Amino acid sequence: MSSADSSLAASLKPGPAEATAERALLSEIDVSTRRPVFFFLCAALVWLLAGTAFALIASFKLHNPAFLGQAEWLTFGNVRTAHLNSVVYGWATNAAFAVAIWLMARLSRAQLRHLGILDVAGLFWNVGVAIGVVGILRGDSTSIEWLEFPAYATPVLFVAYALIGLWAIITFRFRQPGHVYVSQWYLLAALFWFPWLYSIAQIMLVFAPARGAVQPLVNWWFAHNVLGLWFTPIGLASIYYFLPKVLGKPIHSYYLSALGFWSLALFYNWAGVHHLIGGPEPAWVITAGIVASLLMVIPVVATGINHHVTMVGSFGRLKDSPTLRFIVFGGVSYTLTSLIGSAMAVRSFNELAHFTHFTVAHAHHGLYAFFTMVMFGAIYYMMPRLTGREWPSAPLISVHFWFCAVGITIYVVGLKIGGLIQGWEMIATTTDPQTGEVALRVPLFLDIVKHTLPYLVSRSLAGVMITIGHLAFAVHFVWMLLQPRAVAGTQPVRLSPDAALPASRA
Amino acid sequence: MSDAHPDPVEPTPAHQRENPEPHEQQHFPSLLLLFLCSVLVFSSALYLQRYSGNFDPLVYNEEVQGTGVAAGSGAAAAADPVVVGKKLYVQNCVTCHQATGQGLPGTYPPLAGSDWVVGNEEAIIRILIHGLTGPVKVSGMDYGSAAMPAFGPLGSNWKDEKIAHVLTYIRQEWGNKAPPVTPETVARVRAATANRGKAWTAPELAEFHESK
Repeated sequence: MSSADSSLAASLKPGPAEATAERALLSEIDVSTRRPVFFFLCAALVWLLAGTAFALIASFKLHNPAFLGQAEWLTFGNVRTAHLNSVVYGWATNAAFAVAIWLMARLSRAQLRHLGILDVAGLFWNVGVAIGVVGILRGDSTSIEWLEFPAYATPVLFVAYALIGLWAIITFRFRQPGHVYVSQWYLLAALFWFPWLYSIAQIMLVFAPARGAVQPLVNWWFAHNVLGLWFTPIGLASIYYFLPKVLGKPIHSYYLSALGFWSLALFYNWAGVHHLIGGPEPAWVITAGIVASLLMVIPVVATGINHHVTMVGSFGRLKDSPTLRFIVFGGVSYTLTSLIGSAMAVRSFNELAHFTHFTVAHAHHGLYAFFTMVMFGAIYYMMPRLTGREWPSAPLISVHFWFCAVGITIYVVGLKIGGLIQGWEMIATTTDPQTGEVALRVPLFLDIVKHTLPYLVSRSLAGVMITIGHLAFAVHFVWMLLQPRAVAGTQPVRLSPDAALPASRA
Repeated sequence: MSDAHPDPVEPTPAHQRENPEPHEQQHFPSLLLLFLCSVLVFSSALYLQRYSGNFDPLVYNEEVQGTGVAAGSGAAAAADPVVVGKKLYVQNCVTCHQATGQGLPGTYPPLAGSDWVVGNEEAIIRILIHGLTGPVKVSGMDYGSAAMPAFGPLGSNWKDEKIAHVLTYIRQEWGNKAPPVTPETVARVRAATANRGKAWTAPELAEFHESK
């Protein structure tokens, strides 16, 4: 393509013959990916709704313990764990598979081969997740954070994943020669990293558990890297693709892309250890984890600058493009949550924020405000190309965006404040008026719980808003599929019809 | 070799209006950014060095610094002498004295219930440091066909702590209930017998053994 020519006008209107040929090629590739991508998207949507329901139940229970108190399967321990696993392995991973497959095929300019592999993998993965979630609700969960699926569910998941990794390598292998775009680096790395993480963690924690100081290290190496080396690369690959694609502008700098990618690959792997600050681990291991967390500022800032400079001058487009709106919200959240995450690894701040609601807010900031929002943006772009139908309703997209965006903002801000209060009260000290001796104020657990109550309620409120957003999305998704093709227009959905902007390419 | 998609596909309206595939420009990042990254890497390295606990696997307190902080000294948690002693016993003593502490009748004397072991510590400290040779009577039985090797400078050259730990272990295992042996006592005995160049014999130790 016109790689040397970077002017906006030329990018928007490449030579007509060339552009037509490219569109025909992309169209054929998209059709070849339709069956598996569509399967993963539908599965993701189902898990999103299930995970949201679990989340609401868990959130209500925290300020109203009697809620569903008689239901054995829905104790807080079961339902919170079911929420985590169904959104992480059900929603987020299925969505990541769909987006990764679609992007990988497009960027490799290769029609999808070996659909059978993906069909089997998709089926196995979702059966595995279903067995695992039911197992958790039955009370069979392991005690290992992020690996709570009972051991009888996980081999199926691993087989599924190995098949997808294999498929990605095959597709990449058959790519058209030429420059490998930054999104592909992230996709290929993520599809290689995740099975590595998952298999080693399963073996070292579930099937032949490591003992002593090694066990928590493996646990947090895995749990944090699921975010950093699986969801983050898929999310960044999506931003790197959709941002310039929707804007019709090139990415600002190849060098910043490379700096961001390699520094992520180098530093992230160590960062999870900061969850063990204060724990029984050799000092140097903890310090190395903290240093790696701080160095994560480099990839985050490099990537953030790269995206921001690409975006500058085009913020008006946020008014009408649904994809851009979700993607930009996700990209900004990525920068924020990562910088806060680096700060949380510093010993003095960790002492305050660790083991409080602050960490919970941070996790949702990353997995929801960043990753999930980016996936929504990607789905808004992909669906018209997979189905040949347009999104039928701009108002439903607005409802989806605003309820989710405002909801997650209330969630993160409210719970972070609540977490800080909780943290301050737990490490507060008192001074003896006579002797002047400083001692740890022994906190009354119930007092602290009461002080965090308003923030737990704000979390439930945010949860209700997010649920409304998800329902709007689900209704819209089904509506899009059910509407007769004749009725489906050929005009793109535009969030702001009167905006004086070029026709949306969303 | 690919799955067949024989029909030419009509691009969807969405395809017909979409922008070309993305690419990247070659803008070099600002030198200020690279400089700041370097500063961050450099200061992180300083932090790692400062709070590494000397990269010692037994140092759990990141404030410990300086070289030569050996495992087992101050910074690391004090080890339980019985636990360490048992490990030393398993590695060095079980071949003859057996895991049960019963030895082999007629060849290797027992440690369980032995009057030498639970008696005056002066005797067994000397035996550990320099070894024992010749006939010896233990719990009423005669032994003497095998020699007890030295673990002090004549043999394995153990430090005072190791000798104290293994002795404390055998004095408190298999129903033995004698007080622990401290490294300080071992050090005192070692100093008092510094000139000795061969293993002890039972009569030489009789004064300690019978004075229990």
